[in-house]
Amino acid sequence: MGYAGVRGGQEAIVAAERLVAEARFGGGSGWLELGQITERLSAAVDRVMGEGGLWAPELAARAFRQAQGDVLEAAQLLRAHRSTLPRLGYGLPVGTRDLRAVRRISPAVRQPPGGQLLGRTTDYTPRVLDLTPDEQLRTQRPARSGRGAATASPRTHDAIEPDAALRAEGLLADRRVTTDPDPYDITRAPARPGAPRSARLSAMARAETGSLTHLWYMCSRAPRHDGPEIPLELRRGRLPLRVRHPHTGRPVVVAAARVTEARTVRPTGRPRTDGTRFDTGYGLCFGENEPKALAMAGLDLLVHRDPHTDRLEQKVLIALDGPEASGFLEHLKLPHYVDFRSTMERVQAVRAAAGGAR
Amino acid sequence: MTTHLTTELAGPPPAPGIFDELSKREIRRAVLSGIAIPGYQVPFGSREMPVARGWGSGGLQVTLSLVSEKSRLKVIDQGEDAGVNAANLRRLVVNHVGCEEETDTREADIIQSRHRIPEQPLRDGQVLVLQVPGAEPLAGIVKEMDEQRRMHAEADYAKMWVRLYEDVVHNGLVTAAAGYPVLVEGRYIMTPSPIPRWDVPKLNGSQAITILSAGREKRIFAVPPHTHVVPLTFEDRPFEVEHTPGAACRLCGSADTYIVQEPARDGQFSTWACSDTDFCRRRRAGDAPATVPHVQPTALQAAQPSEPAPPALVQPAAQPARRDQEETA
Repeated sequence: MGYAGVRGGQEAIVAAERLVAEARFGGGSGWLELGQITERLSAAVDRVMGEGGLWAPELAARAFRQAQGDVLEAAQLLRAHRSTLPRLGYGLPVGTRDLRAVRRISPAVRQPPGGQLLGRTTDYTPRVLDLTPDEQLRTQRPARSGRGAATASPRTHDAIEPDAALRAEGLLADRRVTTDPDPYDITRAPARPGAPRSARLSAMARAETGSLTHLWYMCSRAPRHDGPEIPLELRRGRLPLRVRHPHTGRPVVVAAARVTEARTVRPTGRPRTDGTRFDTGYGLCFGENEPKALAMAGLDLLVHRDPHTDRLEQKVLIALDGPEASGFLEHLKLPHYVDFRSTMERVQAVRAAAGGAR
Repeated sequence: MTTHLTTELAGPPPAPGIFDELSKREIRRAVLSGIAIPGYQVPFGSREMPVARGWGSGGLQVTLSLVSEKSRLKVIDQGEDAGVNAANLRRLVVNHVGCEEETDTREADIIQSRHRIPEQPLRDGQVLVLQVPGAEPLAGIVKEMDEQRRMHAEADYAKMWVRLYEDVVHNGLVTAAAGYPVLVEGRYIMTPSPIPRWDVPKLNGSQAITILSAGREKRIFAVPPHTHVVPLTFEDRPFEVEHTPGAACRLCGSADTYIVQEPARDGQFSTWACSDTDFCRRRRAGDAPATVPHVQPTALQAAQPSEPAPPALVQPAAQPARRDQEETA
């Protein structure tokens, strides 16, 4: 069947892959172990898991290494892997009361119950490039902290909702639903405007962090009618994953995932008529990713208040996905000569209809 | 007997590697819905594929859901079997399923294509899977997805007609190039992936099933066999296909196929070649039809704004026009 003629493309691909392999496996430096990536580059691993929509630190580290440090590409790898996995069951709902916080700050109050728990953060570390010679860094060991992270986790205070005080005063518009509908699964049905809030929250949890930050910034830097946004609380910690035991029927903890959670409020100003209360926004994402959780909470609130101005709801649902945006951008590299010829013919036809060069 | 039947129903054991059998079943359901409502965009839970979104992830999901070990699969990009993108997708599917590779359009059971419909008229039983980057024909007219859905639901396409009219007023002609809007079976306006206008008449009354799949936009739509597909245009503005007088393929000499410019050594667009490499090769070998019946005499009618009667498709048969351009030296 004369297949020899179609081998050209395939050979070029194999050659291109050989060049990539040289970069991945060649060079003089040592092999990059997965443990090094999960331990030392945990921010990148967390981003890959968040944008990939799969909690799997080892796999995310693998993807990050395979993608040579490209977070978006790694997220795409993780998602493609996710598609190969059959869905075996569903976890039980978990409340963030169960979150064991290793960091909890409350910008809206001076002293929340249990206190401000700064935890591990570089927020107050001067952004100075560490130029200590490498030989010295290599042998450096962390100074022992007085208290371990686990003891700094007073669980009783995590059970107090950060909005309890506002709620008690009747100052909070209640967004809780009592019907307990199944969450909208954006990986099984496309999320479109009008989708329930759970679709929006999942879309943002999987969104590309940079895009989310940018969209939040676009919405928030311009003066709006709304009052100022003030986060009630930002927390980081572990959430248990529970499934029902197939024999006993009792919930069993099978894994735990690190998450970042944010709650934010704005007064309900114009254009709403009711200016007597606060609206809340909520964000929760995989891993340690504070900008993402904060931007998510801010956008959740803005969409709730006014989904249609600037098509904000549509943007949040459609435009923030990393693999989708980058895939569409990069598809421009594919051959387009068939449509180019078609377009060129039209441009020439318009020119001819206008009587030659305009 | 029952065991045999259940095994039959369960289908082949899952092949590890790309996506699971339950997902494939979901894609097939979406495809069937699309075939049942020609031109309607069926939302589906598009999975992430081992190719970037925008590189044929939608077409790949459909092909993988339909292909079996016995299928003969042809994959083309821009009409070419050898292109890197076509080669990559073919390699993926063949490695996953173990089906037969095919380049001869006549022999293929499933043809996955980007931007082209083969020149060889497709026959009954064949399935053409087109990769779609933008599924929504109204995207350039209204931005709100809610409104786009409403317009489709109510067949309220007035704004589309106004857009075409404005185009004629501003430019003297309809400037839509590839992906020209069409009316499917008198009901839904569809954008036929970005195939060139040259290929649009081939959709009309085609014997094969055409499935259009947009992975990133998560929509599948279809043109079943023997379906009316008519390009939108006005009575006094015949639908125009790409044509450059005097141009012919430098390899097979064809002037009745879709040919693309190739810059010659001097950097000028001075030579032309067929984009359908299989057809071009067979033309040279004397193994292809001498004339291509692109346009059945009764097939192509210009869709008109439907007023006052409901969508009336019966217009005098019109050949697609080829605009004789002035040479722009």
